[in-house]
Amino acid sequence: MITIENLTVSFGAVQALRDVTMQVETGKITAVLGANGAGKTTLLRTISGLKEPVQGSILLDGRPLVRERPENIARMGVGHVPEGRGVIGEFTVEENLRLGAMITKAPLNEGLDEQYRQFPVLGERRKQHAAKLSGGERQMLAMARALIARPTVLLLDEPSLGLAPIVTAQLMHTIHDLCSSRNLTVILVEQNASSALRIADHAVVLHLGTVVANDAASTVAADEKLRQYYLGMVE
Amino acid sequence: MDPFLTSRIMTDLLGGLTNGVVYGLVALSLVLVWRSTGILNFAQGAMPMVATYLGMGLLSYNLSYWPCVAVAIVAGFTIGGITERVLVRGLYGKPEINPIVVMVGFLIVLEAVAAAVWSTKPRGLPSPFSAIDWQIGGKPFGLSDFSVFEILTAIGVMAVIAALFRFTKLGLQLRASAIAPEVSRLLGVRVGRMLTLGWMLSTAVGTITTILVASNYFTGLTPQVMDGVFAFGFIAAAVGGLDSPVGSIVAGVSIGIILQFVGDYLNSNDIILTALLILVVSLMVRPNGLFTRSSARRV
Amino acid sequence: MVVNSSQRRMSITAMAVVLSAIASFSFGSSTRVAVALSAFLTLLATGAAIFTTPGLRSSHPVVVRAALTITTVDVVLFATYFFPANTNTNLATGAAMSIVLLGLSFLTGASGQISLGNGAFMGVGAFAMAIWANHHATSPIVVGLLVAIVSGALVGLLLGLPATRLRGPYLAGMTLAFAVAFAAILSSFNSWTGGDSGLQLPTAATPPHWLLGFFDSGTSLLTTNSMWLADIAIVVTGVAFFFMANLFASRTGRAMRLIRDNDVAAELVGVSLPRGRVVAFVVSSAYAALGGALSTLIDNAVSPSTYSFALSITILSLIVIGGIGTIPGALIGGIVYAYSNSVITWITNQTGLNPQGNLASQLNGIIFGGLLIVTMLFAPLGISGTARHLWRTRRRRTPR
Repeated sequence: MITIENLTVSFGAVQALRDVTMQVETGKITAVLGANGAGKTTLLRTISGLKEPVQGSILLDGRPLVRERPENIARMGVGHVPEGRGVIGEFTVEENLRLGAMITKAPLNEGLDEQYRQFPVLGERRKQHAAKLSGGERQMLAMARALIARPTVLLLDEPSLGLAPIVTAQLMHTIHDLCSSRNLTVILVEQNASSALRIADHAVVLHLGTVVANDAASTVAADEKLRQYYLGMVE
Repeated sequence: MDPFLTSRIMTDLLGGLTNGVVYGLVALSLVLVWRSTGILNFAQGAMPMVATYLGMGLLSYNLSYWPCVAVAIVAGFTIGGITERVLVRGLYGKPEINPIVVMVGFLIVLEAVAAAVWSTKPRGLPSPFSAIDWQIGGKPFGLSDFSVFEILTAIGVMAVIAALFRFTKLGLQLRASAIAPEVSRLLGVRVGRMLTLGWMLSTAVGTITTILVASNYFTGLTPQVMDGVFAFGFIAAAVGGLDSPVGSIVAGVSIGIILQFVGDYLNSNDIILTALLILVVSLMVRPNGLFTRSSARRV
Repeated sequence: MVVNSSQRRMSITAMAVVLSAIASFSFGSSTRVAVALSAFLTLLATGAAIFTTPGLRSSHPVVVRAALTITTVDVVLFATYFFPANTNTNLATGAAMSIVLLGLSFLTGASGQISLGNGAFMGVGAFAMAIWANHHATSPIVVGLLVAIVSGALVGLLLGLPATRLRGPYLAGMTLAFAVAFAAILSSFNSWTGGDSGLQLPTAATPPHWLLGFFDSGTSLLTTNSMWLADIAIVVTGVAFFFMANLFASRTGRAMRLIRDNDVAAELVGVSLPRGRVVAFVVSSAYAALGGALSTLIDNAVSPSTYSFALSITILSLIVIGGIGTIPGALIGGIVYAYSNSVITWITNQTGLNPQGNLASQLNGIIFGGLLIVTMLFAPLGISGTARHLWRTRRRRTPR
């Protein structure tokens, strides 16, 4: 379980997150929704240690994450798939995966086999440079690279960005399966609210850095006001 | 016997190769640091020079040659690591002249301190191998035991570095930290340690190079022993591409051979002039180096 | 009493006239001294009057800069008459160096790049001056200086063209290679450059007759010559600073600072990046050459060993300490240079080091290298930049 309390993060004079308090249940998918600039990416970057908050605390199963180095947070089992995916284009598919597997004690080959089973297209292209992959394939690779480290928490930043609707649907399906089969805790940041709400258990809506809704996904999805004002979902 | 083996051309070719591998090693050590930290280390000659004095200085305490070499290399690792942690760490992300100025300052301080402690008088290092050219049919052939040792050492160092980067977990992390530091940290790579390690490796490679250069009977070990070699090494790295380890080595060897011919057929003053000319022309033709694929400017 | 600007100007000018009159009377024995003194005071008064006129700074900045330059040069020239010979020699040396530093300051301030070879560019000017003087013994000093400037600019263009096109450390590395190669270059043209021994100027620069008239007949040649050399150096430095101040403030200068601060933005607003960088580098080489030519004049000779790589590093240290990218930084650096040897000797004496020992002979490198590192790590703006920064923050904090 991730407990975030009174988290405030600023860039100079601009506050990107203001007094954010929320909880993320173990083994559930929590969607973080909101418009551009709502502070969603900042939230993930603060959890994984890339950004230091001005105040507030983040606890992972009781262990504080604030002011911990990102590499140590990763070693505590937090996998972060950054916006724009962060696949290393100069590396082959397999090298990207080997890099992801660096911090687990599990045998490399087992991990690779497992990921290639999950994402067969990666197995076919294991010797290719990641720069040559399509957008959807890169997203798969980024996910696989995070998963091979056997994280307990997965932070996904806009996984649907730039993907065709059908690929997005498949991806959401995969995320949902992974979560239930491995008891993963997922924080899913999305601008594409409808597809995220379809698989999420819980949803948090951010607006200009503050939490405006924090409820079961189905409740948020049914709230006409939220849909209209903050999620841009107009029928 | 084939007279070509002892001809002037063959002699120059082999002599140039011997010098060239040294330039290639210096260029390689520059590339190691440039790729991982984006800094051109102007003290790349001076740091190993100090390590060499520390290690080879033990010769006068009756330690034999090879243990001294080992101590020097360890000193090289240490100096590289300490420099990165103490001097360089605060310079990442600063304007590009800041690291240049600091490393030039470090070069001056190291050379001055070395001269103050060990004096500017050259110290001969006892070479473990004969530097007298081999004879073929009573004529000198352009190689000696020592130059073969030099070439083999250089190839060995290059092979070890290449294998480290290509085939080991550590090499994967070193490369990842250089290309994508933030992503690497998210994957649990200790990027700070990798940067330190890059500097350590680079200084150790430099130390081996310095020992090879200083073992030459005619130069010996002086505080400024690497100044000229550094200039040629930089030219090789710039010509081959500061991003390209293979390119810098190939350029180093080629420049070594070309300059040997220039020195033999023209005169010794023209060597550095030719090197400068090669640099100017190659920067005009291929600004990012002959061996760099992309010419995109990073913004 | 309300004094407006024209009244103030009038009163200053009137004061100058009165003072010159008094001066003429008190030095009545020599009308020559009286004329010189009134010229000095009139210049001073005019300069001060222009400089203090409100509003002129924004409407005619060039005029104000000219006034400031003339006033300063005027005062220093006047002072050289009273200085002992060694002070004048230090002054001349420092002035020549400050021109070199000004060029380097401009290069970095304008383009964000750095040269490690300005000692060699200084050498280009120094040898150009000496070679020209040896072939045209009767040509005026100004022509020699111009020849040096052009030579420096040409060599700078040749080397700067490829390297300034690139971001990163290429220019620094290229200029380092040039500085290291410079001795070999001089040596390959030894029929022109005189090889290891260098060149002597055919005639020493001596003051004209009218100036000699100010001195007692027994005054030593050392005194008059050193004053004359200092005066030449100061006038040239004044001109160099005047041009540079205008360049810094001009459209080109502003465009170049844009390049330094953000080259993507500069490209968007239509500044030709490579050209801006090349121009900055050529200007810096030309300034270095001018400083070198003055050095030849001051030493009456040129030797290749002066223009070693170490000099390039000294130049870099001086401008970093003074304040890179600033105009006053060049002056501070020049003063530091003129007195650095005395200071190092003083340190050697105070610490009781053996002056012939290893440590004493390396003190120069240890101190300058150390200052380079410390300045860059803890006060990268140097003396002048840091002072300006402190001054500005203080003014902002003080409520009006």
